[in-house]
Amino acid sequence: MIRLDAVAKSFGQVRALAGISFEVPDGQITGLLGPNGAGKTTALRVVYGVLRPDSGRAFVDGIDLAAARLEAQRRLGVFPHAQGLYARLTAREHIVYFGKMHGLSGSILARRADELVAALAMEDIADRRTEGFSQGQRVKVALARALVHDPRNVVLDEPTNGLDVAATRQVRTLLRQLREQGRCILFSSHVMQEVSALCDRVVVIARGTVVAEGTPDDLRRMTGRESLEDALVAAIGSEEGLA
Amino acid sequence: MSWLHAFWIVLSKEIREGLRDRRALLTALFFPVLGPVLVIVMLFLVSDSSRQAEEKGVEIPVAGRANAPNLVLFLEQGARVVEAPADPEEAVRRGDVPVVIVIPPDFGEKLRAGRPAPVKLIVDESRHQARPATITAEHLLAAWSSQVVAQRLVVRGIHPSVVEPLAVEREDVSTPASRAAMLLATIPFFLVMAMFTGGMPIAIDVTAGERERQSLEPLFATPVPRSAMVLAKIGASAAFGAATLAETLIGFGVVPLLVPSIRIGFSVQLDPGMLLRTFFLCLPVVLLAAALMVIFAARARTFRAAQTSLSLLMLVPSLPGMALAFQAARPAASLYAVPFLGQQMIVNELIRGSALVPSQALIATGASLVALILVCAFAVRTFERGQPLFDA
Repeated sequence: MIRLDAVAKSFGQVRALAGISFEVPDGQITGLLGPNGAGKTTALRVVYGVLRPDSGRAFVDGIDLAAARLEAQRRLGVFPHAQGLYARLTAREHIVYFGKMHGLSGSILARRADELVAALAMEDIADRRTEGFSQGQRVKVALARALVHDPRNVVLDEPTNGLDVAATRQVRTLLRQLREQGRCILFSSHVMQEVSALCDRVVVIARGTVVAEGTPDDLRRMTGRESLEDALVAAIGSEEGLA
Repeated sequence: MSWLHAFWIVLSKEIREGLRDRRALLTALFFPVLGPVLVIVMLFLVSDSSRQAEEKGVEIPVAGRANAPNLVLFLEQGARVVEAPADPEEAVRRGDVPVVIVIPPDFGEKLRAGRPAPVKLIVDESRHQARPATITAEHLLAAWSSQVVAQRLVVRGIHPSVVEPLAVEREDVSTPASRAAMLLATIPFFLVMAMFTGGMPIAIDVTAGERERQSLEPLFATPVPRSAMVLAKIGASAAFGAATLAETLIGFGVVPLLVPSIRIGFSVQLDPGMLLRTFFLCLPVVLLAAALMVIFAARARTFRAAQTSLSLLMLVPSLPGMALAFQAARPAASLYAVPFLGQQMIVNELIRGSALVPSQALIATGASLVALILVCAFAVRTFERGQPLFDA
C-alpha cells in the first residue's frame, strides 16, 4: 500500500506538486493519469525515495519514507522514467546486481533471475551485454531488475512508453499477473487507452494536484460523460498534453 | 544487509564494469609506461651530451693567436683553443661560437712595456648556452693576468700574496650525476599523474557517465545506503588508481636495470623495498585523488565537462612536485602536511637514497587522511541530497 499525504515539491519557481494526497490499495492497479508536466514523475520519485518533498509525507506499507527510507525502498519495485542500463553488463547481471542490492544472494537469487528471464521471455538476450538493446529489450531488463526482490509494491513510470504493440501487451499481462498476486501497483501514463484497459482505479492529476479519483466508472459518472476520455478532459479542464 | 556488504556489492560491480571498459584499461595499462620510458630516454640523452662535453672540453676561438703565443699556451691548458671565425662579432651574435677572444697586434708591445695589454672578449650575455665557455674564458684570462702580476711583483721583490687579499677557490660540483638526479626528481610528478590518470575513467563513468546513461535513478531507488554507494564508487576509482600507480612504480624499478649506474653517475634508489614503501606511502592520496575526482565528476553537467574539469584538477597537485625537481632549497617542514606535495617530497628523498623519516611520513599520511575524510564526507552529502545527481 502506498499513500501520499499533502506532498508538496517545488523546483525553484516551478511548483511541481501542490500538496498532493492519494492512496494506492493492494491487489489493484492504480493509474496516475495526467497531461505532460502535471507532476506524475515528481510524485512517483517521492514515492520511491529519490526525491525529498518540501512538505507532506509519503508512506509505503505504512512506513514513512522520511523516517525509514531504506526500509520503505526494500518494499518497492521501481521502474523509473529513464531505464538507464549499464552497457557493459549483461541482462542477467543487471538482474543479479539489483537482487544483491535488495539483499538476495546465492542460489535463491540465481533461481529468481531464471524465473524472470523466463517470465519476460528474454532467454535470447539474458547473457548478452545490453549495449545496442532495442527499447523493448531495455524495458524487459528494467522490469526484471525492478521485480527481482519480489516487491509487495510496484511503481512504474510510463512503462509502455516507446514500446510496440506486442511488447505493450506483454507489459499489460505482467501487470495483471502482479495484481492477481495481490500486489499494490501504481503506474503513470498519459495514454488514455492504457489507463482504461488496465486500471481498477484512476488518480487524475493536473498542475500538481489531484483533480479526480475513482474507478473508471466513477469518473464517467462524476463528470457525466460517456467516454472515459471525455471524462478526463472534463476533469482536467483541458485537452492539452493528453494522448 | 550490512553497510559493508552493500559497499562491497557496489564496489565489485563498478570494478567488474571498469575491467570491461577498454578505455579505462588502456589508460591503466599504458600510462604507467610513459614516465619510466621518458626518464630512461632523457637519462641517455643527458649522459651522452655531458660525456661529449667532458671529452671535448670547452672550445674557445681565439683571433690573433700569433700576437700572444704565451697567453695562448696558457689558455690551452684549460680549454681547446681554435681559430676564430672571420667575423667574430657576427659569429657570436648568431650563436655559431659561444665566445671569441681577440688579441690585437699591439698586445706583445704593450705587455713588454708594462702597460695594460688589450684583450677583447666578445660575448652574448643573452645566450644561456654560451655561459660555460664565457665563464671559462674569463677565468683563464683572469688567471693568466694574476700570474703576470705575480711575476712582476717577484721581480720587484714583493711577495705576490700582498696583492691577493682573497684566495677564492672555485669548484664546480655539477656533474652528469646531479643532472640525472634532477631528471629522477620528476618521478614523484609521474606518480601523482598515475594515480589520477588511472582512476579518472572510472570516476567519470560511475558519476557523470551513469547520470548520462540515466542509470543513477534506478540505483538511487534501491535500499543501498547512499554513503555505501558513493564510497564504493570512490573505492573502485581508487583501485584503478592504485593499480596504475603500482605499475608505474614497477616501471621505474626497471630504470636502474636498463641504465647502468655508471652511465647515470650515481646509484639510484629504486629497489623493491623502496618502491613498496612508496606505494604504501601514496595510498592515502590515491584514495584522496579518487574522492576528489568523484566529487568533481558528479558535479559536472556532462561526461565531457567531467573530463575537462578532471584534467585540470589533476594538474593542481602534480605541478608542485614538478617544481620540486628544479628547486634547491630544503622545503619547510610544514609543507609535508600538504596532501600530494608531502608525499612527493618524501619520495624525492627516498629516490636519492635517504632513509624514510618517520615523522615526515606520519605528518604526510595523517594530513592526507584528514583531507580524505573531509572530502568523503562532502561526497556522501552530495549523494544523500540526490536530486542534482540525476536531474542535472
